Formats: sequence, structure tokens, C-alpha cells
Amino acid sequence: MSLSLLVQALLNGFGLAMAYVLVALGLTLIFSILEIINFAHGEFYMVGAFVAYLAFGVWGLPYVVALLAAIVCVAAAGVVAERLVFRHLCGKTLNAFIVSLGLLWVMQAAAQLVFGVQDKSVPSAFSGIVRFSGVVISVERLAVTLAAAALIVALYAFLEHTRTGRAMRATAQDADAAALLGVNIEAVSAFGFGVGCGLAGASGALLAPIFSVSPSMGELPVVKAFIIIIIGGMGSLPGAVLGGLLLGALEGVGTLFFSSAAVNLLGFLMVIAVLLLRPRGLLGGT
Amino acid sequence: MRTALSVIRVVAALASVAVMAVWTPAAAADKVLPIGVLGPLSGGAAAYGLDTSRAAEMKADEINAAGGLKIGGDLYKIKLIVYDHKASAADAATAANKLLFQDKVKYIIGNTVGATCNAVQTVTEPQKVLFSFMCWGTKNLGPDKPYSFRSLLSQWEVAEPFYRWVKEKHPSIKRIAAISPNDTSGIDTNTAVVKYAKALGFEVVADEYYERGTKDFYPTLTKILALKPDLLDVAAAPAGEAGLILKQARELGFKGAKGWTAGVNPVPMISVAGKEAAEGVWTPANIDVTSEFVSPAVRKFGEAFVTRYKEVPGAIAIANYAAFDVITKAMVEAGSLDTDKVLAALTGRPHQTIWGPVVIGGKDTYGIDRQFLYPVVIAEIRDGKLVDLAQVAPIGLKK
Repeated sequence: MSLSLLVQALLNGFGLAMAYVLVALGLTLIFSILEIINFAHGEFYMVGAFVAYLAFGVWGLPYVVALLAAIVCVAAAGVVAERLVFRHLCGKTLNAFIVSLGLLWVMQAAAQLVFGVQDKSVPSAFSGIVRFSGVVISVERLAVTLAAAALIVALYAFLEHTRTGRAMRATAQDADAAALLGVNIEAVSAFGFGVGCGLAGASGALLAPIFSVSPSMGELPVVKAFIIIIIGGMGSLPGAVLGGLLLGALEGVGTLFFSSAAVNLLGFLMVIAVLLLRPRGLLGGT
Repeated sequence: MRTALSVIRVVAALASVAVMAVWTPAAAADKVLPIGVLGPLSGGAAAYGLDTSRAAEMKADEINAAGGLKIGGDLYKIKLIVYDHKASAADAATAANKLLFQDKVKYIIGNTVGATCNAVQTVTEPQKVLFSFMCWGTKNLGPDKPYSFRSLLSQWEVAEPFYRWVKEKHPSIKRIAAISPNDTSGIDTNTAVVKYAKALGFEVVADEYYERGTKDFYPTLTKILALKPDLLDVAAAPAGEAGLILKQARELGFKGAKGWTAGVNPVPMISVAGKEAAEGVWTPANIDVTSEFVSPAVRKFGEAFVTRYKEVPGAIAIANYAAFDVITKAMVEAGSLDTDKVLAALTGRPHQTIWGPVVIGGKDTYGIDRQFLYPVVIAEIRDGKLVDLAQVAPIGLKK
């Protein structure tokens, strides 16, 4: 095997890992604050992609505007979902599980009714290919990686350095103690749910021009997000980034040697190994 | 008192006349023939299921609007019973059980996705229920499944004539790479491609599979393109995934020939791939109902379909519409709803359909004549549209 082929495989794997990390971060943020595993999280990713499809692909707005619109619309949808549904299920894990599955089907069916079942194409936001030493990099994929990385850094800065971000972290650590210190838990929960969904929406909008857009497109990213979270550690931002990179490397290089089914199996074997040897994840807290 | 009795007599007489009026002429028209339709109506393969159920709906509505089916002196209105199995074999078996034992159907006209057909057949065959489908699987047809029909050309009918045509018209192509979803349909298609391509003297450099729902094909394509194929066949990939593979192959620098042996929905494929990446794709199993190359009947069906559902139908819709037509006409001809009698009326002769004449053959491949056969049209995608290049007969039809 040539070195350029190996480098190409690694770049393939890392290329979109950051976008999946965004989905994973949204999922883990919601879990940290509300203790709810939102199985419909992939559908918020799908909604973000459809917003980008409409704004950029159909109405012809600038891509950056479409991306921002996707983040805002999906975050707003997340706040509505939290207010109407998930707030009442806080701490009721099984109920929340069933309801989120129901929401998943409702959102998929609604998208199917509105947009039909056939894949929709979104035009490329960035064109061009960079080639060096037999390795090919799509400018579009590079842009997605950079945009996703910028959003991850922005999220980190927000959580570390703003009052609302600190309130969210405090709520995640101990909601009762945070409430005693004057944190408005209900507002923080709604905001956190909105931010989590907004991240999924951003990922959907970033990947829409690279992939096609369809009502069922959220199924795969949410599976990848769960793998990333378990590997990296629930609630850990650096852990999610590490988990995403590891999964990307495994998929990119593994495909050179094994079938795609075997590579998927390897991903789950990695999850089992982490759960057995380090249940809190590679960078998860105690 | 006498007046009261007279009134009662008149009311009774009027009531009996009314009852007779309801019972006699209308009773014949009110007989209902339940026909089952199955398919994935949600999830990643929903486009196939919706094409299936919508085509059945259109044909059933046409028949009912024309007064119904006159079978053995009775007039039947068709009642469609449609279930979504989400492309899951377990759900398909459950749905088939419901159709047979709850809804009492004797005919299921329409189903897609290979493994679900096998599941349905475990229920339909022992009960002698006639089952027509568009699933692609070698084991879906056979002497042990006499009540099962396939109404769409499968990979076994299109792969040989397609590669025969490639060999004749493009002798410089020597190395083939095939990629398909990792399931019954995909494995069967790649198996057919590999078998016939090798028999015709091609070198098969890649026989690859991916999981349905995959969006990022860079890793798999990197491996395939390193093997330098002359022709990349996105064999059984559905439209959206085929479009993504071609788009990403182009991004990775692939400039060779492209085939889509078992592709059935070119419009969304071209939309996803983009005109440049879809340019030059050869497709032997396809149909574009808006093209000037299809028959007027297919074009008319396509226009009605688009008007009604706002989406362009693929070959699956045409196939199920044709199957519905052929089977309901066979019921009328048999003068009975007994599936054995309808089976006798169906087999052993050609049928006029929306495709044109169709022969039910396939004995050489499956050991029994249960495959709808019609000519393969090889088309090329040029500037985002299908352009017919040649008509080639499947082996069974040639014989």
C-alpha cells in the first residue's frame, strides 16, 4: 500500500468527523442538563439540512445565511420541543426514551409529507479540489471541517467564559445546588436543549451540500454520535473531539483493509472495549 | 283500525321494495375484492414503497371508476389494503399475516426490497395466495414458489445483455468495479454482474458493498479507484446513493466509464450526482417517464402520476401498474377469484401491458416461468437526460 493511499484514507476519515462531533456535542449537552437521551436528535440534524436546502438550494440565499438560518430555526425547534414535551419528562428516563422515539417518527413522517421521499440535492457551496502527491482534498470538505471546528471552539468559549455557559455547566453538575445559587433551571434547560439541537442543525446544514437531503438522513449521524460520545466520554467536549477523530481514522483506514460491514463492526467493538475497560469514556469525568 | 292496517301494509310494501332495490342490482356492484399491497413506505427505501402503492392506487382507481371487475357474473370493486413494512423482513411477515388472516386477501400485488419478499412468501405460498413483486433476489422465484411472480426485470435479466452490449460497443473497457448495498438485492446484483462480466471476458477488479444509508463513499471509493477500473458500476445502489457515489468518484478524479446495472430512478440520481458526474452513465434497467423514448402509454401514466403525487415515478411504479393490469385481467378471463384458475390464465401466453407485450418466462434461470420479460433498453445519461442507445433482449426473451 502506498503512503499517499494511507494519507488519503486518513483524510477521508477525518474530513467529516468534526461535523459528526457537532451532533455528538449537542446530544451530550442535552443529556448533561436534562438527563434525557434524545433519540430524535438525528431528526434535528435532518431539519437543519432541509432549512439549508430551502434557504440556499431553493431560495438562493448566501450559504452563510442558510447556515445561520438552520442553526436558529433548529435551536428554536429544540426550545419548543423542550417546553412542550421534554421538560415534563426530566429524570424519567424510560418515558423520555419512548417519547423521543415517537418524536423521531413524527418528524420523519412530517418531513416526508412536506418534502417527499426522494433525495434532494443541495448545490455545492464551495467548489474545487486540492491535489498534492496523489492525495485529493475537496475544498468543500475542508470548509466543512473548518466551520465545524470553529463552532466547537465557539461552544467551548461559550461554556467556559459566559455567565449562561457557566449556569449550564452548574446545572449539569448539580441542578439543585445551581437552583439554590439562583440559576433559573427551567430557562437553562430550554436554552441548553436549543443549543444542543442548534448544533445538530448546524451539522445538517454543513453536510447538506456534500450529501443529499432526505427525511431519513438523521439515522446514521445519531448512531455515529452515540459511538463518539461513548468513546470520548459523556459530557466531555474534548472527549467528543477525540472520539470523532478516532472513529474517523478507524473508518477511513479500516475501509482499505475490510468491508464496510466489518468496519462498522469495528466501531462497535471499540465501543464495547471502552465500556468494559473505561466505562466513563476516554476523557469522561468520574 | 282498518286504516292503520292499510298504512302498515303500504309501509311494509314500500320497505320491501326499498330493500329489494338495495339487495338486487346494487348487491352485485357492491362486492368488494380486497387486494394487498406491501412496501417500505417510510425510512430510506420509502421511494420504492411509495412508487409501488401509488401505482396500485392509480390502477385500482381506474378499474373502480370504469365500474369494477366483472368476474364470473359478479361485479367487484377493488379495495386496496396497504401496509408499511419499513424494509424489515420481520415487519413484512407480520403484514402478510394480517393481509391473509385478518383482511382475507388472496392477492398481494406489489412489494419491494429483496429480503421482505422472502418473508412474505413464507406466508403466501402455503395459502396459495398470488403474490406479485418487484424484489430482486434469486431465491424469490422457483418451482417451490408457484404463486409468486416478479413484474420487474431483475439483475439476472439485465446484467448479461448490458455487459454484452458494453463488450460489443466499447471493446477498450476491460476492468470492471461493481459496488452495491450490503443486502440481498445488492449481493444478488453484484453476483450477476461478476458472473456475466467474467463470462464475457472482463476482469472484475472490485466487488464491493456498503451499508444502506451511507452518505460518505470516499473511504470505499478510495480503495476501488486505487484498482484502476475502466468502468465503475454502481450496480444496485438506489438513486440517492448512486448519485452520491458518482459525485464523490468524480471528486476523487475518476474519469472512466460508468454503469448502473440495476438502477431504477434516474431523475433523483441525476439531481443528487449533478449533471457532470451523471454524464455518460449507461443504464439498462431504467426508465424516464418524461422522455420522448418511452411508449405513449408510459408517458401518459407518468404525467398522471406527477399530477397526482407531485413526484416522478420510476420503473417500479410502471412494473406494479403493469402487474396489477395483467393480474386483474387474468381474473376476468378466468371468471374466478380462485388463484389456481387465475394462475392458469396468467401463464403460457404474452400479455399486452403499459410496457408493450410482456412474456412471463424465466424457466432457464429460476426453474419456472414466473418472471415478466420485456426488452432491455440501454440508455445513456446525456446533459441530465436519458438517451436511448440500444434495445437488447434478455436471454430468456431471445429464446
